[in-house]
Amino acid sequence: MLRFLSLRLGRSLLTLVLVVTFAFVVLRLSGDPALLIMSADAPPEAIAAFRRAWGLDDPLWVQYVRYFGAIFQGDLGNSMRDGRSAISLVGERIPATLALTVPALLIKLCLGIPAGVYAALHRNSLADRAVMLLAVAGFTVPSFVLGLLLVLLFAVQLGWLPSGGQESWRHAILPVITLGLGGAAVLARFTRSAMLEVLGQPYMRTALAKGVPWGVAVRGHALPNAAIPTVTIVGFMIGSLLAGAVVVESVFSWPGVGRLLVVAVANRDLAVVQAILLLVAATMITANLVVDLLYGVLDPRLRNGMRGTA
Amino acid sequence: MMTHRRSLLLGAGGALGLSTLPRFAIAQGDNRPSIAIAVQKISNSNTLEVLREQSNVGERVLFSSLWEGLIGRDWLGGLGAVPELATEWKRISDQVVELKLRPGVKFHNGDEMTAEDVVFSFGPERMFGDTNPTAQGRTISVSGDRIPTRAGRDLPAEVPAVARRSWPALERVEIVDKHTVRFHNATPDVTLEGRLSRYGSQIISKRGYIEAETWFEWARKPILTGPYKVAEFRPDQVLRLVAHDEYWGGRPPLREIRFIEVPEVSARINMLRSGEVQFACDIPPDQIEGVEGDRRFEVQGGTILNHRLTCFDKNHPQLVDPRVRRAFTHAIDRQAIVDSLWSGRTVVPKGLQWEYYGDMFVADWAVPNYDPAEAQRLLKEAGYKGDPIPYRLLNNYYTNQTPTAQVLVEMWKQVGLNVQIEMKENWSQLLSREPGRAVRDWSNSAPFNDPVSSIVNQHGPNGQQQQVGEWSNEEMNRISVELETSTDRARRKQVFRRMLEICEREDPAYTVLHQNATFTAKRRDIGWKAAPAFAMDFRAGNWKG
Repeated sequence: MLRFLSLRLGRSLLTLVLVVTFAFVVLRLSGDPALLIMSADAPPEAIAAFRRAWGLDDPLWVQYVRYFGAIFQGDLGNSMRDGRSAISLVGERIPATLALTVPALLIKLCLGIPAGVYAALHRNSLADRAVMLLAVAGFTVPSFVLGLLLVLLFAVQLGWLPSGGQESWRHAILPVITLGLGGAAVLARFTRSAMLEVLGQPYMRTALAKGVPWGVAVRGHALPNAAIPTVTIVGFMIGSLLAGAVVVESVFSWPGVGRLLVVAVANRDLAVVQAILLLVAATMITANLVVDLLYGVLDPRLRNGMRGTA
Repeated sequence: MMTHRRSLLLGAGGALGLSTLPRFAIAQGDNRPSIAIAVQKISNSNTLEVLREQSNVGERVLFSSLWEGLIGRDWLGGLGAVPELATEWKRISDQVVELKLRPGVKFHNGDEMTAEDVVFSFGPERMFGDTNPTAQGRTISVSGDRIPTRAGRDLPAEVPAVARRSWPALERVEIVDKHTVRFHNATPDVTLEGRLSRYGSQIISKRGYIEAETWFEWARKPILTGPYKVAEFRPDQVLRLVAHDEYWGGRPPLREIRFIEVPEVSARINMLRSGEVQFACDIPPDQIEGVEGDRRFEVQGGTILNHRLTCFDKNHPQLVDPRVRRAFTHAIDRQAIVDSLWSGRTVVPKGLQWEYYGDMFVADWAVPNYDPAEAQRLLKEAGYKGDPIPYRLLNNYYTNQTPTAQVLVEMWKQVGLNVQIEMKENWSQLLSREPGRAVRDWSNSAPFNDPVSSIVNQHGPNGQQQQVGEWSNEEMNRISVELETSTDRARRKQVFRRMLEICEREDPAYTVLHQNATFTAKRRDIGWKAAPAFAMDFRAGNWKG
């Protein structure tokens, strides 16, 4: 078990280094922060002064080494645009993003999993087709289209809810629904597929042939076995809690991490982009680790496999 | 126990009453409306400091609500110079201007503006840092009092650079008395008054700056003289301004103005239609009809002090011959672009100049005429064989940029030019010196009412085109210095005409396409007029709620 965890940790650190390096190279080679932050209309002297002040006129490898050295000392740098430390800028935006993504995750779980299970248990019924129709629609309609449709209906036509901004809890309703419905559709489809596969397994037939009641067989055998692919998807969803709302935050002018990322990338505000990427990568890696451990809890065969590698 | 609980309840009730009643009373006493405005961007630089926010979008929130200069602009008139924080000014010599300050002007912190604030505004701590003025290549050393301030210590390096570009040869500002100052320039300069009215020459509170903990803290809540003051600024989100009731120009008509950043155009229009905002800015021309289809709303705005250009890199092998560049300029049917993509809501200007130049405006100048036959003749004469010419393009950085580029490429194709669009993500990719730079877009403004502020500033020896190595012309560089320093107005106008001839005809550096325009959607029942600029005027004379 210890070896399993150490391997995963080592691999995670390598992933983080690769993410940071890749972002550094791509962002620095594809745009000059001085020109982007100061704007093309700024005097050339001002742009040159900005470059000097932030060390952007040093060779790329010098900038890279300096950046990495600072990271190892726990310093993610300052925003070139804002002047403040990147980590505090990102930290300020996290609550706003979580205020959307956590309720949206609950909607996904509460709506998607039961709908998928129900559709599988009533395969080929009218209810199954209705659930799958909605799931396909939710899965294929892009979030920005769904968001705009909801705004047109609930903000412009009915006037019930605000269309954008972040001034009260009411402002969160439409973006949460937009995020939640799309994810619920994904979960419903995966859960249905997983359940159908499990329901057709020989051990289910055996259980039913032995006289185990249908409900008990479903709860005791089908649901735990079908949970593994669903848990994988949920793991991804948890991993993307911090950066999974980029489009929705833009559509609803919600000042979260996603919007900060868009602005920071557009301005090549490297320290801020890197801070967000590190945070997102760390969340994703942690979520995957937890999912791996959950596999062991859900499936004894995998648990034994992990012990085997320890 | 009961007594204790009751006293607690009474105390809590009292505290609640104390904290809510006065506010309620103020709200009842102040029946001025509050408004909200949806904008695409509040500030590119995340600050509200004119010396750092060098963009058009910044102008909208900075003028005329916050920043004011000694000489202002007539925003709703022809953008000409008008007395603002100075009531009058006169020339002492070719190098010195004296200004009388308006008495009784109060800063947002309640201090009265004096000559000391003016000197500080143009001093090293706030403006010039360690830079020295230069004139005709000569560095002029300046001795001045350096007041150590916390904000001044971390003055961003780009701020002095911007300031020096605006005031390259300003030696010092002299206090004559509490309400009189003199600006001393190192060289003769007929544009000093124009420079005083330009973006970046506004007056700040010396005490406000000194008391700021950091420069960024200052730059996010500057203490100024405008009719509204900053109550809250959350970069990339919202800017909340409240009325500055001691404003010298009279009590502002609005209690509060909120600029809300809404990047998506459809979201801005939806916010207007749902009543969440009263104004939605940056409306593309193709959306105007849709917005005005609802009789509750109208779209205002129009041309601004900004022209859209196509720029040429004369070092590209196909563009070395000026005849090829001239062919480009004659192949464009500019009026067709204005009519089709702008619904006729902008105009084709008379080259890179504006009427507010006054007597420097060359009225009989025009952009090259649309003459495909002439374009074909020039290409034949130049021996152009149809080799590809790259056109680096940003995706709608400017309004209608991509469709305009597509139309241009077709027009150029009609005369035999093989222009190929290459999409780029940002300005540094666009301006990169790597091979393949030939044609690109730009826009030029005139920060003050003289061609020095535009054609010299943008295409002269220190302008962007020459600095990035796209274009250069020996005669243009020589007469740029003359235009900057000559005091002979007739000669200056002659020089300016010659510059237009060089840059737009003989050795084209660019060609002007059309004047830019900006459109603001608003509730029709609000009595407010848009300025011919990004700036939004919410002073007493421009509001009928």
